[in-house]
Amino acid sequence: MTLNITSLSKKYNDFFAIDHVSLNISKPGIYGLLGTNGAGKTTLMGMILGLILPTKGMIKIFGEEFSHKRFDILKKLNYESPYLDLPKKLTVKQNLIFYSRMYGVKDFLEKIHDLSNNLKINDLLDRQFGSLSAGQKTRVGICKSLVNDPKILLLDEPTASLDPDTSIFIRNFLKKYQKLNKTIILIASHNMHEVEKICSRIIILNKGKIILEGIPKVILENKKLNNLEQLFLKLSN
Amino acid sequence: MFQRLYAMINRYVILVIGSGPRMMSIFYWPSIQIILWGFFSDFLLNNNLANSINSLSFLLSAIILWDVLFRAQLGLSMTFFEELWSRNLGHLLITPIKISEIILSLVITSFLRTSLGLIPAIFVANYYFELQFFQLGFYLAFFLLNLVFVGWSIGFVVSGLVLRYGQAFEELAWAFIFVLLPFSCVYYPLEALPDIFQIFALLLPPAHIFEGMRQIIDNGQVSVNQLMMSFLLNIFYFMLAVFMFKKMMNSCRKKGNLFNLGE
Repeated sequence: MTLNITSLSKKYNDFFAIDHVSLNISKPGIYGLLGTNGAGKTTLMGMILGLILPTKGMIKIFGEEFSHKRFDILKKLNYESPYLDLPKKLTVKQNLIFYSRMYGVKDFLEKIHDLSNNLKINDLLDRQFGSLSAGQKTRVGICKSLVNDPKILLLDEPTASLDPDTSIFIRNFLKKYQKLNKTIILIASHNMHEVEKICSRIIILNKGKIILEGIPKVILENKKLNNLEQLFLKLSN
Repeated sequence: MFQRLYAMINRYVILVIGSGPRMMSIFYWPSIQIILWGFFSDFLLNNNLANSINSLSFLLSAIILWDVLFRAQLGLSMTFFEELWSRNLGHLLITPIKISEIILSLVITSFLRTSLGLIPAIFVANYYFELQFFQLGFYLAFFLLNLVFVGWSIGFVVSGLVLRYGQAFEELAWAFIFVLLPFSCVYYPLEALPDIFQIFALLLPPAHIFEGMRQIIDNGQVSVNQLMMSFLLNIFYFMLAVFMFKKMMNSCRKKGNLFNLGE
């Protein structure tokens, strides 16, 4: 198993942010992690990345227990989120070089050049990160999250607050990138339309528990619903 | 490891060099301190208001040495705060960097910042105000290094508290060190303190360092025991501070607040 989560819980005082979640992801693909605000999506991602310590349970990545082989595993993981930022006073290129070095990327200038071409951010490389628009920052953030060719990429609401053009561009880019690199991409999102468009499987969280998991089309057929938005509203009520 | 360390230090250097106010703050305060107190010492000497040139040397040397401690602490805390202010710590901690590498990069950056600001100021003070600073000889390096370590220990404690309890604690970066000032015997000898405070002062490395400095300027004598004591206390406090910083980092992981730091 590439990502194997067993009975994972995170408890804050008396409240379970994640409640005995088990999850196996072994095949490359784009997976949608859905849920209302406070469902536990970001907490689950935080635990996979080691930013949040679980109260109970185990995370195995690439067959190794995360808590034992954390630093080796982190070399093959990456993450992008609107909740985190990059130093605003550094240029885009300086930020990308910094993170390439942190991951020990060889030939990082070439890598940055290729990625920035694909993400259409070449003209932003010499601009300070703080001067970019939300859409530009997202593209730079995604570029940062790909510098180490991650085997598992976690994206927390990658198109939140973006205009439709940029959202479509990001979605298409991610689909192409995933196909080419056989990456596991786990996307946490509220955007049902987006999830329907790009995710091969979905995992729905509610109050810290996985309440539904499967292929979107099959789930909709079984539940006799037209789209994920209807499903989402039904489940959250 | 070296590549990550280089990346961290290089980034801090770029951030400082790229910012006029940050660059200025490195040079500004040490220079202002030394110029201000240098002129004041000159005034006392020229008007026969000071007992001897030695007492003025005490004063100026003490000011410089105290500033070393203060700059080392600020250099470390401010460098760490940059990560919080830029909401970048989460990104940093999902890379394969170890806490020991973060600690080392903070220490090296603080050392560079402190040296950059103080070395020119020390030479200026020595030249213009006839300060007998270099008469401390080999012990000068020992005093400086020990004070830098005290600064780092405080820096790690303050950074850990800010990390754990939020940015309201940032004020501590400026204030914490002044709690130690009365017990550090910077401007007066140990015996000037009440007995009970003397005991407390002797548990802190700065009191030993400033006592040692006064002894050398006064009679050229050095108490090796005192120097050893300051060194051992420093090691103890530094290890304690690093332990506390790591604990706070872990506590943040448990509390799950590494995502919203800096907001």
